[in-house]
Amino acid sequence: MLDVNNLMVFFENALALNDFSMQVREGEIIGVIGSNSAGKTTLMNALSGLIIDMRIKEKRKGGERITVYGSIVYEGVDITELSPGARVKKGIVLSRERHPVFPESSVAENLKIAGYLRKKAEVREVMAYVFTLFPALVPLRAKKAGFLSGGEQQMLAIGMALVVRPRLLLLDEPLLGLSPMMQKALVNAIVSLNKESGITVVLSEQFARPVLPIIDRGYVLENGMLTLSGTGAELMDNPEIKAAYFGI
Amino acid sequence: MFAGTIVFALINSFILILMAIGFNLTFGISGVANFAYGALYIMSAYMSWTMLNLLHLPFWASAVLSIGFTMISGALMYRFVLLRVRGQALSEVIATFGIGLAILELFRYLGLVGFEYTLPVFSNESFMIAGAYVDIQRIAIVLIGLLLVLGLWLFTHFTATGLAFRAIAQDERTALTFGIDSDWAATLSVSFGAGLAAIAATIIIPLGSIAPDEGYDVLIKALAICIIGGLGSTGGVIVAGFIVGFAERFTDTYIGSHWTMIVSLAAILLVLAIKPSGLFGRQKELEERI
Repeated sequence: MLDVNNLMVFFENALALNDFSMQVREGEIIGVIGSNSAGKTTLMNALSGLIIDMRIKEKRKGGERITVYGSIVYEGVDITELSPGARVKKGIVLSRERHPVFPESSVAENLKIAGYLRKKAEVREVMAYVFTLFPALVPLRAKKAGFLSGGEQQMLAIGMALVVRPRLLLLDEPLLGLSPMMQKALVNAIVSLNKESGITVVLSEQFARPVLPIIDRGYVLENGMLTLSGTGAELMDNPEIKAAYFGI
Repeated sequence: MFAGTIVFALINSFILILMAIGFNLTFGISGVANFAYGALYIMSAYMSWTMLNLLHLPFWASAVLSIGFTMISGALMYRFVLLRVRGQALSEVIATFGIGLAILELFRYLGLVGFEYTLPVFSNESFMIAGAYVDIQRIAIVLIGLLLVLGLWLFTHFTATGLAFRAIAQDERTALTFGIDSDWAATLSVSFGAGLAAIAATIIIPLGSIAPDEGYDVLIKALAICIIGGLGSTGGVIVAGFIVGFAERFTDTYIGSHWTMIVSLAAILLVLAIKPSGLFGRQKELEERI
């Protein structure tokens, strides 16, 4: 479904992502594991096309030069230079890190905004699904998203991405700053949306422990470089992963 | 006299709201402070005047056409000038203010000043309300002001484009992840802001005459209202419009007309001293809370 070939991203002279390749097959859950500043968000921005928009805007301002080498191929089409909007239309939807919700709008409005490209009836249908997936959001419908807790905001953020009807859902650090209970609930929701709706998921995370059991395959990033890859079980048994992420 | 002052204060408030709402819309959505706002206001009035008096078009046609042309000018200004300096607030202000100066001073150079340069009123009739004569034009200002505020609220809450506007205003990069094009939204926001300036000109200019100086006046008033209300907040514009509108009329009646300008400037100073983000600068407060 998605092939990333030798992707390199530079911010000025700093190399954020170095010769990174990955494959995603339809229906899989793929994990990208790495610590802070490993290049996870850069990868997500490159896959969703935000980096293309950032490059254009930085260029206008005369700011940081962003350079992208390599290619991203989605369903046989090269999308490396495609704008974020065009990628959303193709079904690639990113939920950004740190609970990206619109704080001044209510929960229901946030979901409606996310359905910008979809028909009203479709949006209503998916909204109903989001509320069954995250029942905790139902009583909060009319509340402003800015007043929600971190976990509720993250549920809303994933719900918003679902409203766009993704075929490939990119989740950037969905568990960041959440309690272990909330992490578990979200991981279960990700599994069920993958099974029930057949949405392919790529998620980046630094908490390997809750994520490794659910992923089909994982890629481990360190300083922008791919250091390890394999199935979830393989990674769990790897001594280096155990030492670095489980503290064993 | 008291009741009459209230009626005229109400009308004055709506005039101020109409003058400020377009500037506020553009700033609220795209963060562009359109300092050519006053010039666009005057330009649309001159366009209407030209179509009415030189091309002999009916009033409604020239009004609609001039509003349309002003919207197009706003969009072109964004695409060809503002896009290049996007994100640098100071350059945006200098660019828009430069365009505004060029337009207004061109009209002054052409010598289009005098009492014959004005737009027609809707009707010459007037009513007696609370002991004061109020003409149809001033009642129309209140009604159209109400309709515009209501329409704008409905637009930003129930249409896809309106919701996209509010999304861009809150978090541009997240809005991008839902397929909302930020450059297109910003183009529309400048264009709609220009259109609102043109609507305001069409109904307010008939009370006076078209003059280049009026352009600077409108810009200063729009800025004052937006700063008091909190830049980018529609609720703030309405409340600030009423505060300044009432304060101006009451000073006019009970203290002296030469004090009116002082009142709005004092209101700005007072608000900035007590609440630097304006009365309804809510966005910032919420950010601080989290």
